[in-house]
Amino acid sequence: MNDLLRELKIKVVEELQLKEVDPEQLADETPFFDGGLGLDSVDLLVLVAMVDRDYGVQIFTRELGERAFITLSTLAEYIAKTRKTK
Amino acid sequence: MNKPWLKHYEAHVPHSLTYPEVPIHRFLADTVERHPDHVAMTFNEIHFTYKDLNERVNRFAHALLKLGVEKGDRIAFLLVNSPTYVFAFFAVMKLGAVVVNLNVGIQGEELARCLNDSGAKAIVTLDLFAQGVYAVIKKTGVKTVILHSVFGLEKKMALEQGVPQPLVFQEVLASAGTAEEPGGRVSPGNVALLQYTSGSTGAPKAATLTHNNVVSSVLQSETWVGISDAGNAAVLCVIPFFHVFGMSACLLISVLKGYRMVLVPRIDLMDILSLMETLKTYQPLSFPAVPSLWAAILSLPPEVAREHLSSVRVATSGGAPLPRWAHERFEELTGRRIVEAYGLSEASSATHFTPYPRGGPIGSIGVPLPDTEAKIVDRETGSVECGRGEIGELVVKGPQIMQGYWNNEALTSSALRNGWLHTGDLARMDPEGFFFLADRKDDLIISSGFNVYPTEIEEVLRRHPKVKDAAAVGVPDRIKGQAVVAVIAVKPGEEADKQELLKYCKDNMPEYRVPKAILFMEEIPRDPAGKILRRIVRQDAMAL
Repeated sequence: MNDLLRELKIKVVEELQLKEVDPEQLADETPFFDGGLGLDSVDLLVLVAMVDRDYGVQIFTRELGERAFITLSTLAEYIAKTRKTK
Repeated sequence: MNKPWLKHYEAHVPHSLTYPEVPIHRFLADTVERHPDHVAMTFNEIHFTYKDLNERVNRFAHALLKLGVEKGDRIAFLLVNSPTYVFAFFAVMKLGAVVVNLNVGIQGEELARCLNDSGAKAIVTLDLFAQGVYAVIKKTGVKTVILHSVFGLEKKMALEQGVPQPLVFQEVLASAGTAEEPGGRVSPGNVALLQYTSGSTGAPKAATLTHNNVVSSVLQSETWVGISDAGNAAVLCVIPFFHVFGMSACLLISVLKGYRMVLVPRIDLMDILSLMETLKTYQPLSFPAVPSLWAAILSLPPEVAREHLSSVRVATSGGAPLPRWAHERFEELTGRRIVEAYGLSEASSATHFTPYPRGGPIGSIGVPLPDTEAKIVDRETGSVECGRGEIGELVVKGPQIMQGYWNNEALTSSALRNGWLHTGDLARMDPEGFFFLADRKDDLIISSGFNVYPTEIEEVLRRHPKVKDAAAVGVPDRIKGQAVVAVIAVKPGEEADKQELLKYCKDNMPEYRVPKAILFMEEIPRDPAGKILRRIVRQDAMAL
């Protein structure tokens, strides 16, 4: 889980071209939206594409999105759980 | 005038069209007569046929009449893509009143300025945006507020004395009594829309568009694609109707052709996720989108993107240039081309398209539509035509071009000269007659297809109590084309952190203007005249 979270932080920073963010410095509980990474809807879709492409996990509904995209750690948990049950 | 581009017209596209002298709502009347049972729109799995749609339009028109709305009155819309928008839009058209299209992200002073500039008498909005409307309503002439209640928020609002009580859209509709056509004559030369657009000075300006302008524009675009056998095909309506691209490519072309609009409202961030399900469920024929959305979808694994895009025969991109990789990926996955469009609020929507279905050279905005003239003129005087391949300002002329800017003769006479609209975009025409955008005459940033003027961000930032000075610039972004970076000089003795300033931005400006990153500088570099030296600021922002 820790490895996944670490990897996820690097991927998020790369995908979104967050040049001034150091993935190592990102807290596990960093929120994606308000007060956190401050993503917009297109950023969200870009991360959905990355999660599908790199982990084979599809988050194509609002319900799933609301569950997974809260913080970096909730996304990692969701990926870990969904991959296991596949 | 020599028109080298005509040779690129597909066989189904005439060089010139005949434009009927009709108001916009004739599109609806004709479709209701031909296809009353076609599904007009689908929203959250609720479907309305064209007959249903027209009945509700008529009811709302009668309700507006009862509320005192008259021909020529301006009715502001602060609405996402929703049935309410469609009902209200055609009701206002049928009464000969004027829709004032506002971006749902605007708020505060900017909202007040648009409402005042347009002289809006009423506003139609969602309960979600009501607080923002009531925050400024006392500074405006708005006398009637009609809210579509999604969450019942209007019941929880504490209203100041002297402001109009909100009317609930659903109740207003129910109270209308009759679904008969409202009657009254609307001349095609009447103003139909005030389309607010950003300005380099930060002051709002509205393109004044008549029924004739909009009808011409829709017919030009529809003829360009020329699909005649699609029945009740679906159009994915993600691009907001308040933007001319969405209004034309999603709303009006659908109604003209009797297509089914599949509405994706984008009230909050998560709405975008339903797009994937919607693509699969409704298999749209047409999907107009901005480059950032195309780039995001085309970043999906190939088999997933292919599956979701398999039905899309008309893939349109507008608002900013689509990157080469996205063009190539789409073609690889579907065997079809994405058609690029160039347009602006001042032209009702498009002036240029790449040929459909062949596409054009990658990086090109295409060629002028039928009856549209275009040329490149020198950027200093705007009066000398440039040679082939030479960069200058793009100027356009045609039946879709606005009448001028609402209540602003100075700006109108600078933008419209002898019938030519000076777009402010720098471009060139190649020897084949294809046009290519070069850059802007001003410092416009185009992010996710939205025009963002640095001053719009800088003015907001300078109002923050800790900010002494601010500058905003665009930096390249793989998905969004450009992203906004704000550079801030903090007042002496103050300390500000980036998160605090980003939150402030989110609370005070639309999503697409919020900077992606914030940089601090002791002083914002300015020239002796006080003008921001954006080249220097941009270098620092690019080095991030």
